Amino acid sequence: MTSFVSARLSRRRFLGTAAVTAGTLAGVGTLLDACSSGGTGPTSSGPTTLTIMGTSGEITPAYIKEFEKLNPGVKINFLTSDQTRLNAMFAAGHPPDIIRGFGIDSAFYNSRGLALNLDPYLAKSSVLKTDDLLPIQNLFRWDGKQTGQGPHYGLVKDWSLDGAIWADSAIFQQAGVPVPSSTNPLTYDAYLELGKKLTVRQGGKIQVYGIYPGWPSAGSYGTGVPAAPAIYQMVQQQGGSVFSSDLTKADFTTPEVFKALQWYIDYANAHVGPSPLDPDATGSWQLYTAKRMALLQLGYWFGGGITSDTGPNAATLQKASVLLPAPQMGPHRISSTFAGTGYWIAAKSQHPDVAWKFMEYFMTGTPATDRATSGWGIPALKQFVSLMPQKTDMQKEAFQEVQSEMQYFAPLRVSPYVGIAAVDTILGQALQQVLHNQLTLPAAAKQITDNVNLLMQQSQQAVG
Amino acid sequence: MIRVQPGQTELPPAVHQPRQQRRRGWKRYSSRTFYLFILPWLAGFLGLTLIPLIYALLVSFTNFDGISPHWHWVGLSNYRELLRNTDTWYSLGRTLFFTVLAVPLNVAGGLGLAMLLNERVKAVGVLRTIFYVPSIVPVVASAIMWRLIFDRDVGVLNAVLERLRIPVITWLVDPTVFYALLIMILWGLGGGMVISLAALQGIPQELEEAAMVDGANGWQIFRRVTLPLLSPVLFFQVVTGSITSLQIFVQPLLLAGNGGGVQGLGGSVPRGDFFYMINVIQQFLVFDRFGYGSAMLWIFFLVILAITLLLFRSSSFWVYYEADHDHE
Repeated sequence: MTSFVSARLSRRRFLGTAAVTAGTLAGVGTLLDACSSGGTGPTSSGPTTLTIMGTSGEITPAYIKEFEKLNPGVKINFLTSDQTRLNAMFAAGHPPDIIRGFGIDSAFYNSRGLALNLDPYLAKSSVLKTDDLLPIQNLFRWDGKQTGQGPHYGLVKDWSLDGAIWADSAIFQQAGVPVPSSTNPLTYDAYLELGKKLTVRQGGKIQVYGIYPGWPSAGSYGTGVPAAPAIYQMVQQQGGSVFSSDLTKADFTTPEVFKALQWYIDYANAHVGPSPLDPDATGSWQLYTAKRMALLQLGYWFGGGITSDTGPNAATLQKASVLLPAPQMGPHRISSTFAGTGYWIAAKSQHPDVAWKFMEYFMTGTPATDRATSGWGIPALKQFVSLMPQKTDMQKEAFQEVQSEMQYFAPLRVSPYVGIAAVDTILGQALQQVLHNQLTLPAAAKQITDNVNLLMQQSQQAVG
Repeated sequence: MIRVQPGQTELPPAVHQPRQQRRRGWKRYSSRTFYLFILPWLAGFLGLTLIPLIYALLVSFTNFDGISPHWHWVGLSNYRELLRNTDTWYSLGRTLFFTVLAVPLNVAGGLGLAMLLNERVKAVGVLRTIFYVPSIVPVVASAIMWRLIFDRDVGVLNAVLERLRIPVITWLVDPTVFYALLIMILWGLGGGMVISLAALQGIPQELEEAAMVDGANGWQIFRRVTLPLLSPVLFFQVVTGSITSLQIFVQPLLLAGNGGGVQGLGGSVPRGDFFYMINVIQQFLVFDRFGYGSAMLWIFFLVILAITLLLFRSSSFWVYYEADHDHE
C-alpha cells in the first residue's frame, strides 16, 4: 500500500513538474520571440542578415533573390512597413537596417540622430555618386537645423510633382468645357469653378465629381494627397510661409494660410468633390478609373496607375487622360513634391556596409530601371530620367508636362518638429468643425496654430 | 483508536494510520500543485499585463515620443494637460453617450431575439444561425461592407430609399454617421442573443406554468418570473458590453475610412464618432506623444473601473441570484 500511495504522488508530482516545464518553455519562447528584431545581429555561422522595412511592391521577392545572388553570404529579412513595429524595434535598440520613409518628413528622424550619414559612402561609390543626384535628393539632407542642406541621410527612390492634376478629357467633352492648358497652370479660383461646371448630380447623388484636390487626413473622401503639404505650397506660392524662419513655430493665422484654408472650405461647401460633407467610400483612384471624376490632383505617379489599370474603362482612360500643371494661388509659381519616397539606413544598423550595397543595387540596378520605365514616378537620379515611358500619347504628353513644370520645383518649407501626418490630422479636425458651424474659420486657424505649436514645443524637448 | 500492545515495537500497517495526519500532508501538496499549474498563466500575466501596465504608468510621467533616445521626466504635466484639454472631455462624452445607447439596445435586442427564437418552430436552428452569423464576421470586413452600404452615391441603402421615393441620406457625415455606427454595431446582436437564449432555456418551465396557473398574463410572467431569473446573465452582458463599448475604435475608424497608413488615422473621423480611444490612438501614432497617450489610457482605466464598480453596486437592486438570501 505504501508503494501504491507513493506511486500516485510521483505521477502527480510528474504532472505538476511537466506543467511547470511546459509553461516555462512556452513563456521563454514567447519572450524570446518578442525580443526578436528580425535577426540583424551577426551569427557565428551562416549568412549576414540584412533587415529591410519597406513595401513588397517596391522590394519584390525577385529583387531580393537577385540581390542575394549578387551578394552571396547576405540574406534579406523583409518586413512590411509598420510604424508601430518600427517604434518597437527602435525602442529595443535593434532597428531595421534599411527603412522606407518620405523625404519630406525625414527631418523627424534626422533631428533625432536615427539615420546614417551616407556622404562617406557616396564619396566612395563607383555606381552612385553625388553628381548623379537630382535636386529632389536634397529632401533627405540635414545640416542639424533644417532639411535641404548638409549631408545626405537617405535617398529618394522616385518622386512626383504631386500638385499636378490628371484630367479626364472625355468628361470635359461631355460637359462642353474646354480642357485647360497643360503648360499654363490654373488659378485655384478657376480650378474650383471648373469643378462646379464638371460636377454631375442626379437626385441628391453625385454621379461625377468635378475635382479632388485632396483633403486633410484624406480618409473616406478617398486616397488623395494630404492637404498639409498642399497648403504649404499654396502659402509659398503667395510668398508666405507656415513656419517661422528658424522652423520652431507655426502660424496658421496669416493672410496667406487663411486664404488657403478658406479655399478648402469653399471647395467642400461647393459639393464638387469628396470631403467631410461628401464622403466617398470607394476612393478617389477608383472614382477616376470608374470615370466618375473629372480632375484628380495626384501628381505624375498616378499615370502608372492609369496605365496599369485593367478595368472596363482602362483603354478609354488611357486615351482621354491628360496631365495638367499644379494650380497656383499666388505670383510665385511653385510645383513641389509632397512626399519624395525613399529609403534610409538606421544609424544603429549592424551592417551599414551591406545596407549601402543594397542601396546601390536598389537605386542603380534592376529595381531602378524597372521603376523608371514603369511611369510610377520621376526617377531621382539623372541617368534614369530618359527611361521614363513615352510609348502612348498620354505618356508622351505627361513626360512633356513634367519636363516643362520641373523648372518650377522648389522644396516646401517643412519643420523638423512636426510631421505632415500630425498637421494633416489637426487640420482635418478643425476644418470639419468649421464645415459644421462649430467653429469660425479664424477660430479654427487659431486652434490649428495652438495645437501644432504644442506638438512642436514637445518635439523640440524630445530632440534635446 | 490504536491500541499498542505491551512489547509492541512497530506501528500497525499504514492503512491503520490516523486520517488527520494524511489530510495535513495532502493539503500542503495540493497548494503547491495549484501554484505550479497556474504558473504559466501567472508568468503571462506578469510579463504581458502587469509589467506593461507599470511601464505605461512610468511612461505617462515622461515626454517619450516613441522613437527618440532623448526623453525626460515631466511629472504630472501630461495628466494636467489632458484634464484641461477640451478634446479629452469631448471624446469621453461621446464615448459615454455611445455606451449608454449601444449597451441597452444590444442587451434588450439580444433578449428580444432570444425570446422570439425560443419557440419550437420549424427551422428555428437555421434562424438562430442566421442571426448569430453577423456577430462572428470579422470587424474589418463588416466595417468595410457597411461603409459601402452607407455610401450615398453607390450604397444599397440609398438605392432602396430611392426606389421608395424617399430622399437619399448622406449617412457618413455628422450627425447621421453616429447612428450609422449604431446600426452597424446592432447588426451583431446575435452574440447577445445566444447568451440570452441559453439563459432562457435554463429557466424551469414549471415556474412559468405555476405563474400561469395563478392567473399571471404573459407580461407579468416575463416581468416577475423570467426577467429576475435572467438578471444575472443580463448583468454579465451589461458589464462586458459596457467595457467593450467604452473601448470602441476600430469600427468608427474603418467606417470613416482611412487614406492609408498613419496619414489619415483619426483625422477623417467625423466629430460625432470621435471617441476616446480614437483620441488615444491619434496621440500615439499620429502625434508621437507616447507619454501623453499613456496618461490618457491610465485615466481611462480608472473611468472604466469606476463604471464597472458602479454597475456592480447597482446589481444589488436588480440582479437576483437563486442562492441570494438577501432578496428573500
